[in-house]
Amino acid sequence: MQEIRIHGRGGQGVVTLGELLAKSAIKMGKEAQTLPFFGVERRGAAVKAAVRIDDTPIKVRSQSYKPDYLVLLHENLLEIALAGGKADHAEIIANAGQPLPVEDKQWIVSATDIAIKNGQVVGGEPFVNVPVLGAICRVLGIPFEVLEETLGEQWTGAKLTPNIATAREAYDTVREVEGGPQHG
Amino acid sequence: MSKVFGSGNTACAMAVKDADVDFVAAYPITPQTAVAEKIAAYIAQGIMDANYLPVESEHSAASAIAAASAVGARVFTATASQGLLYMHEILHYAAGGRLPLVMANVNRAVNMPWCLYADHQDAVSQRDTGWIQLFAASNQEIYDSILLAFKVAEEVQIPVMINYDGFLVSHSMMPFETLDENKIKEYLPPYDPSWRLHPQWGGTFGNVTFSEQYVPYRESLTRDVKRAGELIIRCAREFEELTGRWHGGYFDVYRPEDASFFLLSMGSMGKEMELAVDLLRQEGIPAAGLRLRVFCPFPKEELSALLPTGTNLLVFDRNLVYGSAAGVLLQESRAALYDRRDEIRIAGISVGLGGEDLPASLLADKAREMIQEVKK
Repeated sequence: MQEIRIHGRGGQGVVTLGELLAKSAIKMGKEAQTLPFFGVERRGAAVKAAVRIDDTPIKVRSQSYKPDYLVLLHENLLEIALAGGKADHAEIIANAGQPLPVEDKQWIVSATDIAIKNGQVVGGEPFVNVPVLGAICRVLGIPFEVLEETLGEQWTGAKLTPNIATAREAYDTVREVEGGPQHG
Repeated sequence: MSKVFGSGNTACAMAVKDADVDFVAAYPITPQTAVAEKIAAYIAQGIMDANYLPVESEHSAASAIAAASAVGARVFTATASQGLLYMHEILHYAAGGRLPLVMANVNRAVNMPWCLYADHQDAVSQRDTGWIQLFAASNQEIYDSILLAFKVAEEVQIPVMINYDGFLVSHSMMPFETLDENKIKEYLPPYDPSWRLHPQWGGTFGNVTFSEQYVPYRESLTRDVKRAGELIIRCAREFEELTGRWHGGYFDVYRPEDASFFLLSMGSMGKEMELAVDLLRQEGIPAAGLRLRVFCPFPKEELSALLPTGTNLLVFDRNLVYGSAAGVLLQESRAALYDRRDEIRIAGISVGLGGEDLPASLLADKAREMIQEVKK
């Protein structure tokens, strides 16, 4: 089983991200499940969601403690995400401009910049979930065509185009980096 | 049949839409809210032909669907936690009045302190209202159980509550399949009540009685609640023949072969328990899982029939009987197995209150502790 735990804040679209990732995995012939955790259900509060992908139906009905992938919708969620636990071999996929100050294998993508560049901002909030989804799919080896099909079922017309654009750019630009310097 | 990837609440709302329900009244409450919202949206979009009454409270929701049922409508509501507690009075009314209501209860802790997460205290507190209570552990099981619930309720004229855990199932997205309209019609024909209130025919409902009338009503209700158990299994078998889908009878039994330790639980914990059983089996501990699907009527004989002489029953309650360290399932199990007290050892604990997370490793730890206890 592959377990991915996504960290974001209430209103950032963590639940939608998880749903679209799971749907993409299902298109690849996999079983999938999402389990969001809303904390105190307040906009802006830290929220998380687990996505589980496997070859057989998923029986887990509990939270994620040892995910294989840790996803951050913003680099400032790193501490919260690490406190939630991860597998020793876990890889981090983060919306970040610079390497994260940890030694783990990590992938970064400038999802905020990509969202702003493509006009995906509402109420001052850049929609980073779709570009981060693009980055995750690239790391997990999900072909972009599969993701494009998933996005096409979620949005149509003028709403679909920028989502495909941000997902595509993140898919193409996410890069593996060496861990950054540790904070003293 | 269409394949859906959606939450437990979505599975619930879609089943209500597909069951050709006539009337829905609901009051939103976490973690049930999406059920109330989605059904309202289906009706507003014109893809569900029903009347929806947005009420000011759960007491009114239950009262409204009870009244609508009495005039012959197929009815539904959904709630959770405090909402269910607020309905308590009407739950007795509906069961005593033999009204085939169907309700989803998204299991959540009861206040105080305030808590939004999975716990069965809400449901077990309604054990003695005369309602049939089912527990589901997957989104497919929710969809299928809603259809089954209408069939059972309308045949035996007793209301049915379908329970599933808040967030762990209600907000967890999983793949599930819906059923084609023609198959649903075959399984669940339009509701044809044997009687109903109608101005043309006159009559009254819910008259004052004395014990001469009251006692036979109570006797018939307890007899029919018991009979409903067999009916649930028959309807589940019919559903299996039609769809190939089977979630278990009274229990969903996991790895019973040569088992000495039977781990009894209900709801989402029962599904995770299968992973705990696998962990214990890897250590050579002959464990099995019993996920209870029918809480009311509690299947006493069927539980006993699953347990060979010399085996042990380990009970995991997601509720608490105050003054003890365990819950209602332990009490029911002890009562069911009293005559076999010399041949079956029983231990029980209360876990998972207020959404306390229950990964398989923790369930296996608790099982090992209880195994030490029953070995004493």
